[in-house]
Amino acid sequence: MLYLIGLPLLAAVVGWFMGKRSPAAYYWTALVTVILEFGISVALCFTETRDLMLPGILDLGLHLTMDGFRHIYTVVISFMWMMTMMLSRDYLGFAPSSGPCGATFLQGGKALAEAHHGPHPNTERYFFFTLMTLSATMGVFLSADLFTALVFFEVMSFTSFPWVIQEETEGAIRAANTYLAVAVIGGLAALMGLYLLQHELGTLEIARVYELAAASGKKGLLYTAGACILVGFGAKAGMFPLHIWLPKAHPVAPAPASALLSGVLTKAGVFGLIILAAEVFRDDPVWGTLILSLGVITMLLGAVLALFSTNLKRTLACSSMSQIGFILTGFGTMGLLGRENALAASGALLHMVNHSLFKLVLFMCAGVVFMNTEALELNEIRGFGRKKPLLNARFLLGAAGIGGIPGLSGYISKTLLHEGIVEAAAEYGFLLHCTEWIFLLSGGLTLAYMTKLYVCLFIEKGQFEEKTRYMGPMSIFALCASALIIPVLGLFPNLTMARIANAGRGFFRGEAIEHVLHWFSLENLKGAGISVAVGALVYFLIVRRLMIRDGKYVDLWPKRLDLEERIYRPVLLTILPGAFGWIAAVFGENKLTGWLGKQMLRAGEAVSALFGENVVTARIAQGVFRTGSVLAHAFSDMTDGIVWFLQRTVFKQDDRNFEERINKTIIYKLGESVDRRFAKRGITSKDDHYFAQLFERIRLSIEQGTHQLTDTMSFALLMLCVAICAVLVYIFIIRN
Amino acid sequence: MSAKWLIAAILFPIVMGAMVPVFGIKTRKAVRLYTGAVTILTSVFTWVLILTASGEACTLIEFTHVFVFQLQFDGLGRFFAGIVATLWPLTVLYAFEYLKDDPRQHAFFAFFTISFGVTLGITMSGDIFTLYCFYELLTLSTAPLIMHTDTKAAGRAARTYFLFSIGGAAVALLPVLYLTTGADARYSDTVNRVFYVLGFFGFGVKAAVCPLHRWLPKASVAPTPVTALLHAVAVVKSGVFAIIRLTWCSFDPELIAGTFAQLIPLCFIFATILYGSIKSVREPHWKRRLAYSTVSNLSYILFGVLLLTPAGLRGGLLHMAFHAEIKILAFFAAGAVMYVSGREYISELSGLGKRMPVTCACFTCAALALTGIPPFAGFISKWNLLTAAADAGTALAYIGAGAILTSALLTAIYMFTTVRRMYFPEQGAEDTALSEVHEAGWMMWVPMAILAVSTLVTGLFGGKIIDALDGIISGLSRWM
Repeated sequence: MLYLIGLPLLAAVVGWFMGKRSPAAYYWTALVTVILEFGISVALCFTETRDLMLPGILDLGLHLTMDGFRHIYTVVISFMWMMTMMLSRDYLGFAPSSGPCGATFLQGGKALAEAHHGPHPNTERYFFFTLMTLSATMGVFLSADLFTALVFFEVMSFTSFPWVIQEETEGAIRAANTYLAVAVIGGLAALMGLYLLQHELGTLEIARVYELAAASGKKGLLYTAGACILVGFGAKAGMFPLHIWLPKAHPVAPAPASALLSGVLTKAGVFGLIILAAEVFRDDPVWGTLILSLGVITMLLGAVLALFSTNLKRTLACSSMSQIGFILTGFGTMGLLGRENALAASGALLHMVNHSLFKLVLFMCAGVVFMNTEALELNEIRGFGRKKPLLNARFLLGAAGIGGIPGLSGYISKTLLHEGIVEAAAEYGFLLHCTEWIFLLSGGLTLAYMTKLYVCLFIEKGQFEEKTRYMGPMSIFALCASALIIPVLGLFPNLTMARIANAGRGFFRGEAIEHVLHWFSLENLKGAGISVAVGALVYFLIVRRLMIRDGKYVDLWPKRLDLEERIYRPVLLTILPGAFGWIAAVFGENKLTGWLGKQMLRAGEAVSALFGENVVTARIAQGVFRTGSVLAHAFSDMTDGIVWFLQRTVFKQDDRNFEERINKTIIYKLGESVDRRFAKRGITSKDDHYFAQLFERIRLSIEQGTHQLTDTMSFALLMLCVAICAVLVYIFIIRN
Repeated sequence: MSAKWLIAAILFPIVMGAMVPVFGIKTRKAVRLYTGAVTILTSVFTWVLILTASGEACTLIEFTHVFVFQLQFDGLGRFFAGIVATLWPLTVLYAFEYLKDDPRQHAFFAFFTISFGVTLGITMSGDIFTLYCFYELLTLSTAPLIMHTDTKAAGRAARTYFLFSIGGAAVALLPVLYLTTGADARYSDTVNRVFYVLGFFGFGVKAAVCPLHRWLPKASVAPTPVTALLHAVAVVKSGVFAIIRLTWCSFDPELIAGTFAQLIPLCFIFATILYGSIKSVREPHWKRRLAYSTVSNLSYILFGVLLLTPAGLRGGLLHMAFHAEIKILAFFAAGAVMYVSGREYISELSGLGKRMPVTCACFTCAALALTGIPPFAGFISKWNLLTAAADAGTALAYIGAGAILTSALLTAIYMFTTVRRMYFPEQGAEDTALSEVHEAGWMMWVPMAILAVSTLVTGLFGGKIIDALDGIISGLSRWM
């Protein structure tokens, strides 16, 4: 199990040194690593479940474990990394160094072999962090306690940051800033939550959390902890209202990275939410309702945003958000259903797996589009897919799968989720009926925006007419392998999906499904039918009517509703620093008392105006307030004031000139008197002031010699004397 | 080894430092050889003492019967001495490169060596009076280092340092005398508490508690080795160490717990935690930004100490060690950039990541560790502080936990804006002068690399340190 985490880490470091010589070597190292990784994770499925404790590491010790769910997800993760790494060969490896990313010259039939002369800049960085992220993601999914999960989760957040900023364009930097901010704030919130949980329960072992939480009397504290963890992991999952990074980060990242961000990294966030739903708050209707409502909002909002987006990858990103909403809805119903949560749990699990696969396929298609056209706006890539049957078929599989068309795997998981909601509706009534309708509506919207993309890419005519070779053999293999799984899973649900659900069920604390499900029964097909109908309606009414004007897609992306621009950025960047800055100024620079003084002065004026006719009282009032103001100002500058005062008194630099000064010192006077004595005795010298000046010169040389010393030491001694005097006063007067 | 040997560890560097002008060591080579040998000998000897010295008290001089000058090397002292003795040679190596062309480097290294002995004296002192003497000596021996560049700003900074330090020490003298005259048994608890608060603010000057912190950011005009070692480790940590001694060895934690003597310092500590990190976010000058960050982080440690629980003290001590290595690393990186390219402001760092890869990677490690990203070192200490706060369970403790988390967020902001600028410059901010910038010499990057690796290693295997700390804290005894 440690190999899963250690291998990519090692490869990342080893490859880094190889990559210095040639980036291609790094690429092959990375590819071999991910293939090995896939092999190991598959092989692990056939070995026994085991635990791995690493005590002492990071104080609390790390704890890894393996079970059905983790088997599934390690395989999914390593599979996705393998596929995206294969695509990277075309996407990054062969790109000319001049282009921002895509291999433009693949267009026009140039041979792939020719392309070797300059890989994309910073590929080493990309591979390095991709491998690091693989290791961290594995860690998250393998962790047996929340602490381990958090450790790897944080590492994952930071190693995936370079993905977002890879292109180093202005948009990428902005998106990366958002990503980093969300990651840091989310991480801190999760840390806070974990530490409350640890404090309350005394452990963070996932297996033991449930009983301890059930036994704990402090529900309020648990909910607070839960909310903090929800913020932390929910932010990564793309849950409303923390979804802001998703639609920004996905479009700017390289396509293989987008696929991983959307397919796996969001799932790492979901992983935390599963633990919350299945362990900490198992059978808790309050928590269920909270998650359900957040899920429903995320689901609908994501779908609507995706519908109005005219950017290929942004549509897919919003779609991710919406699909996460579907999964969250599953968790919500799990909580509401209590013990009979079989359908919802299996549905949520299967939808997780499915969504990972769909997004892998779709983002890889988007990557293929981008590396040929260097564009993502729908208007610029119209008709790219015409006469490219391979790409066409793959994209169609992904799009239809995510839309829940019967026969593909998305249908299975959505059916399960739907049935779960129906089951809950029988118990909870009206609100759940609404949920059901929103669920179907979102399903319809999913179909609508996918149709929009499909029609735009593959049916409408655009500038791409000639037949070209548009991707290398490895990309073709990656696309085919990942896309073909979708119908296989969808057509033989009992053989495949049911088994996956069964294996992973334990982690969700789901019960076994009691009755045999008739996947393609009329009842279930009806749900899909409604969604298809809604989808068709929406597509023709909204997309074709509203979004296409003069044969172009109009951007209806609701910019004004951007939570980040409207709320988060102003609050975080303007209001909070302002407030904090003010507080800091009050504490550090004594602005408070200064302000008080000003107010005093103002009040004094107001009061004296009040007493305007009676001169005496007005004067008195003004005097009182003015004194207050002066006092307040005096306090405000106290620390500075002492320094200032000392500099003006003890340390006062004598800036009078020599002539002025010497006439006044005692030494000089002494010298003068000596001179006078000598003069009286009749001993005359050339200079009247011989001794006076001699003495003064000696004095000055001493003074200058000890200048540095007196300047600093005198104060020290002075303060020491003050302190000793105080002590003496204390000892002799107060004490006796 | 007998406790008498302690005096050798203290006097050796002090005497050898003072002998620099006597021996007439001036050339670069001689200075390096001499300072290097003395520092390494002292460090090795200190480590031998840490591992083998007996814990008995060793009385050196008795002035009257009241003031006793005695040394004692207990667990707490050994811990601090271990930090100092490990970091000092690294800093000296770094300083060799940093002051390569300085004509007055012999004076610098003389004072630097003296400071080593004085700091060791603080760790080895066996009662509050001895501690106070070394504490004062530290002020005197480090001030010339601040003034070293001989500019007007340096002079001003040194003067501010003096004003604050000596003034604070004067305040601290009251409780020191109060304690040494053995008076605490005869007075009411309230009087004891008042003296404790006085002592806190007196020693709090070096620990940079908020209204008394002003000297620290100003002192960043000093050469970077000084800023790094003294103003992130030795001097400021001496202030913290003195407060720990005052709280745990001189006064009784139970006497202070739950009273105004705990409340007042804690309020100032919370203010400092937030103030330091906020100022840090707003500060454009790199070294001053790190200095403000030190202000904030020192108060993390004090927060742990003033929770007055063993767990809190453990978290505080852990953060003391980790912050030392992290901050020294961050300052080294800032100094290396300053030394090579003369860039001092964050805005000038655009795109430096490609020109100075080792330095920037090391600074990134420091940023990650300081923010508390696992598996780097800062994470465990923060986690320990937070759990200690939760265990204490009082409202104040929770406020402190909130302050630390808020400050952690701000830490992320002020460290990562710097890091991002290094690696991902804004478009159009390409710097033409950048091509002349190159990586710093090996004497600079080797200490940095060692520290960067150690932030990771100590983070991963922090459990061992925590076990050791548990032993130290349970063995902590009160001073007479």
